[in-house]
Amino acid sequence: MKEKDVIIDVRSLSKTYVDESGETPALAGISFSISRGEFVSIMGPSGSGKSTLLHILSFLDRPTRGLYRFTGKEIGELSDADLARVRNQEMGFVFQSFNLLAHSNVYENVELPLIYSKIAPSKRRAKVESALRAVGLESKALQEAGTLSGGQKQRVAIARALVNDPNVIFADEPTGNLDSKSGAQVMEILKELHTGGRTIILVTHETKTAEFGKRLIRIADGQIEYDGPIMQGIPKDSLK
Amino acid sequence: MTIKDALRTSWKGVTHSKVRSLLTMLGIIIGVSSVVLLMSLGASAQDLIIGQIQSIGSNLVFVIPGASKSGKFSSPASSQGIVIKTLVKSDVDALRRESSINAVAPEVRGQAKVVYEGNDLTATFEAVDEQFFKVRDFKLGKGRLIERDDVNSFERVVVIGGELATTLFGSRDPLGKSIRIKDATFRIVGVLDPMGVGTFGVDQDNLMLLPLSVGQKQLLGVDYYNSINITASPAYDMAYVKSRVTSILRDEHRITNPDKDDFTVRTQEDAVALLGNITGILTAFLTAIASISLVVGGIGIMNIMLVTVTERTKEIGLRKALGATDRDIMTQFLFEALSLTLIGGAIGIIFGAMLVGGTYLVLVYVVKMSWTFTLPASALILSVAVSTVTGIAFGLYPARKAARKNPIDALRYE
Repeated sequence: MKEKDVIIDVRSLSKTYVDESGETPALAGISFSISRGEFVSIMGPSGSGKSTLLHILSFLDRPTRGLYRFTGKEIGELSDADLARVRNQEMGFVFQSFNLLAHSNVYENVELPLIYSKIAPSKRRAKVESALRAVGLESKALQEAGTLSGGQKQRVAIARALVNDPNVIFADEPTGNLDSKSGAQVMEILKELHTGGRTIILVTHETKTAEFGKRLIRIADGQIEYDGPIMQGIPKDSLK
Repeated sequence: MTIKDALRTSWKGVTHSKVRSLLTMLGIIIGVSSVVLLMSLGASAQDLIIGQIQSIGSNLVFVIPGASKSGKFSSPASSQGIVIKTLVKSDVDALRRESSINAVAPEVRGQAKVVYEGNDLTATFEAVDEQFFKVRDFKLGKGRLIERDDVNSFERVVVIGGELATTLFGSRDPLGKSIRIKDATFRIVGVLDPMGVGTFGVDQDNLMLLPLSVGQKQLLGVDYYNSINITASPAYDMAYVKSRVTSILRDEHRITNPDKDDFTVRTQEDAVALLGNITGILTAFLTAIASISLVVGGIGIMNIMLVTVTERTKEIGLRKALGATDRDIMTQFLFEALSLTLIGGAIGIIFGAMLVGGTYLVLVYVVKMSWTFTLPASALILSVAVSTVTGIAFGLYPARKAARKNPIDALRYE
């Protein structure tokens, strides 16, 4: 693996939550790298730390200890405003609960990251339309997001994740709130995006969904239990 | 986030729940409309008072008994109802000898019971001589005014205001009729044209004008005057005439130390400035009271903005996840608070202007006052400025609270 291809590099990453009841370790010194263009599925039982890992990787949370380099830059050295800029321009997010602005239309939802990129409104239209085409929702642009079906909402969320042409798309249980048909459609879109060269990092607890990835990181008790390719037989054993 | 995007986002926030936004704005609407109404009424009242003073005549100098010592705008004791007897006939005679003065008109005032054929009422009288009508602009409807002979020969004649004539005589002609004033019989020789409420609230339509000598000696039993009205000669500067009047009266009263003056000399300009100052202070005081409601309105906006920030915690988390900085979030919520106060302010200005218009219609067409419709630019500028400051002051805390939310905690919020 060439150094310049490494997009995410974490070393001895730990996260401990502190509250009135004491300290709760969520991640206990994990290390791995992800290269540009990989499709990584992160799995693990509830409370294993997989969502915490995704939040740290996507700058939504900060680690307690350890080193995290994103595209070669140590994130501990970045200010909150720098992290916001990187999130906006180099990352896309797909959440389990869609997180759309229910009273805004599809176009306005997809446009949202562009507002924070300070891209002129005249240049936004082409980007939004292209993203909506990629998820097959160009005809729904003016429909209020709250009135869409679950599958359509998640496709809008994917279009929103795509619109700024990010390096990495983080998907947190993207099929968790969908029926199997809609879930399969969403995963097909993510698969196409990966084929097109994008890096996808997917957190899921569903084996079938995880199998869309090429690499599996399985976490238990805050530590990596398995990190390797998803192949017939081997990963499935590890997923049990 | 551009300003345009911030405006669009805040507009969406305000219009999302219209009834709630309107109720939130209500405090600002009431506050701003009160400020506009009070400032407009103050300006109209000032116009009215100043107009009335200027309508009395021109080149006027007033002398009133008693000193006005503590500053230019203080009132002498006589203007507060305290009887001071320092202005007498010798003062008037001395003033009449001064070449820079055109006319000198002393007067005494009082109230008396008036009776005619079982009708009885209390009216104000002014006892004057013939020079009074050179100084004050009274319009005679019919008959004649008070003449020199009336004063010299203690004639019991009276000129009455138009409304008083109607009250006492109805449609009958009052000229030549006799009325009883303070148990003495007076013959009506003249009726004034309707003039409305005059300076200092004197109802000129219900006024009685009597010969000075009769008023002084027979009705009041005094030998002093309540005031001396003077018209300066147009050839002289008003400040000069004022100084001459002061100098003559000091000589007459044998006063060498100006601090011991027992009279006050004011020009028409002094009176305009004095009353302008009084109405200005009164307007500012009332406006300050009305502004309290703006503070209450601002607190209402802060309260609702805090609720909004809590309700939209998840949205804040999402926006931050998608790249919004703390400053973007703060701008969005600050603009939302500002939109509420500025829209509230605009509605308040419109509502206030409607109230000013309504007051104008009532005063002009119902009360029959010569009121003017005044909507001072200062009221509008103050309203916009106060709305903006209120929006920023009371929107800042909720906006900062929103901006400081941790993205992942905000996203997890249910």
